[in-house]
Amino acid sequence: MSIYDLKGARVSPMEQARTLYYKAEAYGHIANMGLRVGPLTMLGHLRSKPWLKVLLDCGTLFDMSTKGREGLYRQASAMALSRVVKAITETLEGVFTRPEYTVMHEDLVPPEIIYAMGLNPWMAELLGIMGPLIRSDFAERYIDVSENAGTPPDICSLPKATMGLALKGEMPRPAAILTSNMPCDGGMSCYTVLERELNVPTFRLDVPYNFYDERSTKYFADELFRAVKWLEANTPGRMDWDRLKEICDERNRSVEYQMELWDLIREKPAPLAGEALYLGHMIFMVAMPGRPACTEYMKTMVDMAKRIRAEGGALHNERFRAALWNPPTLVYPELIAWAEQRYGVVTLMDMISYNRHPYIDTKSPQTIMEGLSRIIMQGPMARHTRGPQTNFFTDLFDLYERFNLDMIWMAGHMGCKNTMALNGMFREKCRERGIPLLIIQYDLSDTRVVSPAEIRKQAEGFMETVIKAEPSK
Amino acid sequence: MKQPVSLPRLINDIVDSPISPLVDKAQEADRKAIAYTCSFVPEPLLNVEGLFGVRVRAPGVSGTPMADTYLSNVICSTVRSILEFVLEGTFSSINGWVFTASCDHMRRLYDNLDYLEHPDFIHILDVPHKRSEAAVQWMREELSMLAEKLADKFNVVTDDAALSRAIDAHNEYLALMRDISDLRKRDHPPLTGAMFQALIAAASSSPTDLIIPHLRVFYETARNAPGIDDYRARLLMAGSHCDDPHYIRVIESTGALVVGDRTCTGSIPALAPIDDEGDPLTVLARRSLSNISCPRMMEEFDTRVEEIIAAAKEFRVDGVVLETMKFCDTWGVEASPMINALRKAKIPVLRLEREYSLGSEGQLQTRVQAFMESMGK
Repeated sequence: MSIYDLKGARVSPMEQARTLYYKAEAYGHIANMGLRVGPLTMLGHLRSKPWLKVLLDCGTLFDMSTKGREGLYRQASAMALSRVVKAITETLEGVFTRPEYTVMHEDLVPPEIIYAMGLNPWMAELLGIMGPLIRSDFAERYIDVSENAGTPPDICSLPKATMGLALKGEMPRPAAILTSNMPCDGGMSCYTVLERELNVPTFRLDVPYNFYDERSTKYFADELFRAVKWLEANTPGRMDWDRLKEICDERNRSVEYQMELWDLIREKPAPLAGEALYLGHMIFMVAMPGRPACTEYMKTMVDMAKRIRAEGGALHNERFRAALWNPPTLVYPELIAWAEQRYGVVTLMDMISYNRHPYIDTKSPQTIMEGLSRIIMQGPMARHTRGPQTNFFTDLFDLYERFNLDMIWMAGHMGCKNTMALNGMFREKCRERGIPLLIIQYDLSDTRVVSPAEIRKQAEGFMETVIKAEPSK
Repeated sequence: MKQPVSLPRLINDIVDSPISPLVDKAQEADRKAIAYTCSFVPEPLLNVEGLFGVRVRAPGVSGTPMADTYLSNVICSTVRSILEFVLEGTFSSINGWVFTASCDHMRRLYDNLDYLEHPDFIHILDVPHKRSEAAVQWMREELSMLAEKLADKFNVVTDDAALSRAIDAHNEYLALMRDISDLRKRDHPPLTGAMFQALIAAASSSPTDLIIPHLRVFYETARNAPGIDDYRARLLMAGSHCDDPHYIRVIESTGALVVGDRTCTGSIPALAPIDDEGDPLTVLARRSLSNISCPRMMEEFDTRVEEIIAAAKEFRVDGVVLETMKFCDTWGVEASPMINALRKAKIPVLRLEREYSLGSEGQLQTRVQAFMESMGK
C-alpha cells in the first residue's frame, strides 16, 4: 500500500468519526463471520488459510479510500467499502459453513443460477482480486507457487494466483466447479489445474465468439440448461424456478438504479467516482448480483450521488475526467485517489463496471435463461476480450462520449495478451479521434514486474507532458 | 545418424519459402489461394474445385518489429511472424484468408490483419470449445456460412457433391501421409522426424493435388530403403503447433529419432481418415472438433493425455518431448498437469519452451542430450 502518496484532507471531527464508524462496521462484519462460523472452527481456517488474515488489513483500504477525500464523497467511499467487506464475509461464511453446498464459479459466470438452486456461490478469483487491493504483494507468494509448479511467467497473474492458492492447499474445496471459456485463454485453462488439485467435478460453459445474435443466445441458453441439470446431478442443489425469477427481478431492480447512477455521473462535476463506483460494481453487479443487498447498494449510491451533487460534486476541483480501461490496477488502487488529488482527475468508468445489463424477461424459465445468457456473454471484460476488436473499441469510444471524458487511461496489464495485442490499433484509433491515451505498463497483481511508484511515474509523465496539467501543490 | 533417403528438392524448396512455388502454378490455372492459420479449419472446404487451401508459415522470419508494434511482444511468435510477413507483403498473392477464433492470439491476428490490410476476403470461424452434439451443430452452421461466402466471392460450387469430392481427394492425401507415417513405426525407420515434418509442412502449404505426386515418389523410395539403425532413442513430440522441420532436426542431431508427432501440425491423429458417409458439413464439423488435440478444447484434457500415452505405446518411444510455444496460454498452463499425468504413467517427459524462429540450438541440443542420458540412452 502507498497511502503515503496521498495528502490527508482537512476534515471535521464529525467526518472523521463517520469514517471510523464505517471502518468499525467492516471489522464488525469480520467479527460476526468469526462468531457465526464458530471461533474454534475459524481458528482452524485461519491456520489452514493464511490469506484470511488479509481481511484484518482492510483498514488500509479504508484509509486509502478516504484519506484525501472530503464531505459526502468521503462518506460514500467508506460506506461502499463497508458494504463490500460485508458481502465478502457473507460469501466466506457460506463457504466455511456449507462446503457441500458450495459451487466455485469463474469470475465472469454470475451466480444467479447457483443462488436459485440453494447453493453457495464461491468466486474462485475473488481472493486474487481483493487480496492485492488490500495488500499489494498479497498475490505474489501464490504466483510463485504457480510458477514453481511449471506455469510460465507470462500467464496472467490472476489465474496464476488462483492456481497458486489451490496448489498450496489454501483454496476452500467446493462441491463442484462451474466455469467457462471466459474471459481469456489463461483464465479458461487454469481450471484444468483447479479441477485436478481440488478434485471436484467441473462443468464448463462454452461462450461463442460472436454473441450478439439470437443464434448464440439460444446456444448458450441451452448450455445453461445443461449446467442446471449437471449441478442437480453433482450437488445437493435443486433448481427453484420461482426463486430464480425473484433473483432476476431483483437484478432488474439493481440495474434500474445502476442506470440512474450512470446518468448522474455524466454530469460535471461528477457526483461520485472511484471505489464507490468501480468496487461496488465489481462486487454487487458482477460478482454477487441478484440479491437485495445489491439493489440496496446501488440505491444508496444513487441517493449519495444526489446529495453529493448538491454539495458541488465529488471533487470540488474536478479538472479532468477519465476512464480506467481494463480491470483497475489491483496492486495500486491508490492511483485513483492520487490522480484526484494531484491533477483533479476523476475516474468514472472501467472495463469491469461498463457492463451490459439487459433487463431479464422473467415470464418463463426459457426467457430467464435467455436473459441470463445475454448478460453472461455480454458481461464486462468478457465481451471486450472474447469477441472481435470492435467489441473493445465500440464500447470504449461510446463511454468516452457518454461520460464526457477527457482522456483514457489503459491499465495495460502485461499478462492480458488479448488487450496487449490491441495496443497498436488502440493508439492509432485514439490518435484519429484526438483522444489522449495513457497505456500504463504494469502487472495486475505482481508489484515485482512494475512497482506502484513506477505506475505513478507513468501517470505523472502523461499528465505533465501530454495533458500539460499542473500538479496541485 | 545415417539417413538412407533424402527429401526431393522441391520439398526442401517449399519448406524454406513462405509461398510454395506450387501456389503460383495453381494460380496460373486460375485457382484461388485461401490462406489459413489453424488446424481447426477443415482443408477440404478450402479445396473445392477452383480453390485451394494454403496453411501460411513464416520460414526465415528474422524478427517481428512491425508486428510487435501492433500485437506487442507478449503474443505467440507464430502469430507475430505471420503478421510480419503480411506487413512485408510476402503474402500479397493470397486471394483470401480464413481464421478461427481458436485462441486469443489467433483472434487478435485476425483483428490486426483485417485492420491493417483489409483483405478482399477474410472470414473467421467461431469454433466451439466443446465437442457436444450442440457444438457440432454450431460448427456445421459456421462451416455452412463459410461455404456460402466462398461460393459467393469466388464463384465456386460448395454444395454437398463438391464437398464430398474434396473430402475424397483429401482422404487420398491423408492415406498417403499415413503410409509414410507408418514407416516410422519400424524398428529402423527409413526417415527422420524432421523429414516427415518437412513433408507435412510442404503439403499443407501447397495445393494438395499438386503435391501428392511428389509425396508418392518419396514414399516409394522410402518404403524400400534401409532403415536408420544408429539412433540413441525414439522420441514422440507433443505440444504446440510446429511447422519447422529444422527444430526437429536440431533435436535429432543429438542422436534422437522423432518417430511420432502429437501436434496439430503432426501425424497423430490429424492424419486419420475423414468419414465419407453422411452430410459433408456435419462430417467436417465433427472432425474439426474431435481430431485436433489443442488445449483450447476445454473438456478434453484426459483425452489428450490418453492419446499421448497410446501414441507412445504404438510408436514404442523411449520418451516424450512436450514442446510449447512461448506465450501460448493454453499449452503453457496445461503442460504442467500433463507432464505430471505422463510421468504417473511412467513415461519420461522433457518440456521445452520454444519460439517460432529457431534459436539457441546449442541449449536445445544440451537439453535433449541430458534427457536421453536421464533415460539411460
